[in-house]
Amino acid sequence: MDNSTSIEQGILNFVKRANWILLACLTVGGVTLDTGFAAGIACGGLLVTINFHLLARTVRNAFVPCRVVSKNAVLVKYYIRFAISGVILFILIAGRFVDPFGLIVGLSVVVASIFLATLLAVKKLIVKEAV
Amino acid sequence: MEAEALKFFIACVTAAGFGIAIAAFGCGIGQGLGLKAAAEGVARNPEASGKITVTMLIGLAMIESLCIYALVISLILIFASPMTETVTALLTH
Repeated sequence: MDNSTSIEQGILNFVKRANWILLACLTVGGVTLDTGFAAGIACGGLLVTINFHLLARTVRNAFVPCRVVSKNAVLVKYYIRFAISGVILFILIAGRFVDPFGLIVGLSVVVASIFLATLLAVKKLIVKEAV
Repeated sequence: MEAEALKFFIACVTAAGFGIAIAAFGCGIGQGLGLKAAAEGVARNPEASGKITVTMLIGLAMIESLCIYALVISLILIFASPMTETVTALLTH
């Protein structure tokens, strides 16, 4: 594994860890505001975090040459994951089990983690250039 | 009042349908372009597959989030709209 690959892997590991940490922090913060809001954050955050892990596994199996699996298996897994996410969101919103705004905040966990990782990478780059 | 509520609800359902359709269209094109570039990159340089995979994964997650946001907004427009209960009561009478 060369240096550049380890940097990419480091960002991925950071995003994976930050997802769980952000989810926990936001849920705890949401509980202080409203239970429905916190439930929305927890459900949305769990959904996207698990989705991200499954996507990572599917993409790795599809794109690393030594582990390439059947094209159909990748497609079926992708669509099943997407359909299950849609059904869960439908049940949560149509049944009004959670607060929709909390759900949107929860669904933003992965995006926030990626932005955090990007900011840290940019900061490292700037610090390296300054030195 | 009821006619206004019905009009509002019809507008919400139309907006939800167009919203998710446009989002799926844009996200589909974005993911397709990303996957095409990644597949070409891995075919040209199989040793770089790990690096390409991680970068693509992060890009795909970002694009997919957009589609999920659109889905949530569409579902909210249909099922959690303030007019939903009024219109449901109106239609069941």
